[in-house]
Amino acid sequence: MIETKKLERSFKNGDVETLVLKGIDFKADSGEFVAIMGRSGAGKSTFLYQISLLDEPTGGAITIDGHDTHRMSEDERMKFRLNKFGYVFQDYALLPELTALENVALPLLMQNKSRKQAYAEAQEALDRVALGHRLHNLPSQLSGGEQQRVSISRAIAHKPAVLFADEPTANLDNESSKTIMDIFVELHQEGQTIIMVTHEEEYAKLAGRLIRLDDGRIISETSHRG
Amino acid sequence: MPLNVRIGFFLAVRALRRASLWTTGLIIGVMVLTFLNLVVVSGILVGLLEGAVVAVRTQYTSDVIVSSLNDKKYIENSPNLISLINTLPEVSAYTARYREGGTVEANYKTRKETDKPNTANAVLVGINPAKEKAVTGIDSSIVEGSFLSPDDYDKVVIGGYLLKQYFPVETPGFTTLENVGVGTKIRMSVGGVVREVTVKGILKSKVDEVSMRVYMVDSQFRSLIGRSDGNVAELALKLKPGADPVAVRDELLSRGAGINAKVQTYDDAQPKFLKDIIATFNMLGTAFSSIGLVVASITIFIVVFINAITRRKFIGILKGIGIHGRAIEISYVFQSVFYALVGSGLGLVLVYAFLVPFFDAHPIDFPFSDGILVAPLGSTFFRVGLLVVTTVIAGFIPARMIIRKNTLDSILGRN
Repeated sequence: MIETKKLERSFKNGDVETLVLKGIDFKADSGEFVAIMGRSGAGKSTFLYQISLLDEPTGGAITIDGHDTHRMSEDERMKFRLNKFGYVFQDYALLPELTALENVALPLLMQNKSRKQAYAEAQEALDRVALGHRLHNLPSQLSGGEQQRVSISRAIAHKPAVLFADEPTANLDNESSKTIMDIFVELHQEGQTIIMVTHEEEYAKLAGRLIRLDDGRIISETSHRG
Repeated sequence: MPLNVRIGFFLAVRALRRASLWTTGLIIGVMVLTFLNLVVVSGILVGLLEGAVVAVRTQYTSDVIVSSLNDKKYIENSPNLISLINTLPEVSAYTARYREGGTVEANYKTRKETDKPNTANAVLVGINPAKEKAVTGIDSSIVEGSFLSPDDYDKVVIGGYLLKQYFPVETPGFTTLENVGVGTKIRMSVGGVVREVTVKGILKSKVDEVSMRVYMVDSQFRSLIGRSDGNVAELALKLKPGADPVAVRDELLSRGAGINAKVQTYDDAQPKFLKDIIATFNMLGTAFSSIGLVVASITIFIVVFINAITRRKFIGILKGIGIHGRAIEISYVFQSVFYALVGSGLGLVLVYAFLVPFFDAHPIDFPFSDGILVAPLGSTFFRVGLLVVTTVIAGFIPARMIIRKNTLDSILGRN
């Protein structure tokens, strides 16, 4: 489903060029739950941004469902992100002036769904993370765990092909983190492809496959379950 | 509705609904002030002169003025012309005036042989008091004494500019009468005829043509100047509400009134310098308004720029989850339009519900006019449009600058 070949990403600061990803070959199949681990600066978030089309690599190739992403225009990448991907960020990334329901409905409206349909699907996604009673609350009126659940709802409401999560539990307490991970496991069991960057070994083990990055390279790969 | 517009509207409505009331109030306040700057500054500048124009129209020319040709002292065949005027359905009233240049003298009784006579040049006018009242209502400008009655004999109403206490101007070649009040006898000289008359009333108006005149009942004035043919020097025509002065002027001209008289609308009869000053004030008003518009656009630019910069992360997230940049730009445009429309709306209410009626009731007291606020609807709405367009551009540019930045850099707050 997602495949990278010799993926490179470097950053320039004046005359200094830093190579963060140094030729990563990676493949994730549909329905997989892949966890990416590594110490700070290993390049795991940078890698996630490349394969989730939030950033453009400086070398190598990414193929998603047979599409060479290098050939895509910015508009096509945006449509791909809207229709095929879902994102969960470390800091929830909810729009503060939109209610939980509106935050979740927004990408659905952008998919040109009617207001009624978008709101119905958004409500369904919020019900799924047990936030059906918080539909009209603004993010500021929700706890961190609840905000992250809204963020997950927004990411899954349009039934994306891949759900990308960048350290989704980093800002949460243990109980909230566990709730989030339970949702991820449940989604995976229903066939959702998930690629998640995490620091926490305990949660990484819940994924079917664990990839460790260091210094811009994959240093190990472990399968936990079939 | 195009999808990006729909999403832009969705985002804008929520951003406005949940924005800080203080911020929204401040921005709308700036827009209201800008609108007032656009409309009121030039409106008052023009209004100062418009006040003068209105005063000349109501107190002197009325809607249409027919006067003697430049090389004649009177309008020949005036009775025929008056008959013609009587047939025009648009005319509600008219007043005929006899007019001669002459002098008035004040100290003739008390001065010694060697003293300089206290005289003033004046335009002496014979009027029918009732008709003059009906057309120009100058009787309401009487500040001392009373206006003429049809049976007044050897009585005059004198314009304030001929009296020192009302017009204390010491200009070489221009003299005024001293120590003249109601009841004072003065001497009027016209065409070699001298008549002693009593001042019955003093009239004060900001219209030169009204205040530089001495008024007498027409029947007496005719005998004073030896006019028995009924030829008058001026005819001021008041039209019925809604009647077009231009149409009446043209009608009179087409029926031969122009052969023996000058036929002008109140607008034609305005002095050229007044028209020039109006044009200059209009230009000044436009210049001040333009500066106001630039200030408003910079304000909106800064407000939207700061708003977009502080929300750069959220703009990045929106783009990241697949919201089109154009939709985000449109949301800022909608917000800018909202500020401009609400600001202009409040400004319109202020102008038409408070300021215009206020200045109509309490005109600004200028030496040459009673200044009012002139805000014609057409040009006001043009200025509203101008403000909205400027605001849209001022809102769009900074939003676009921020939205065009790299999506991931925006999300991560990288420069």
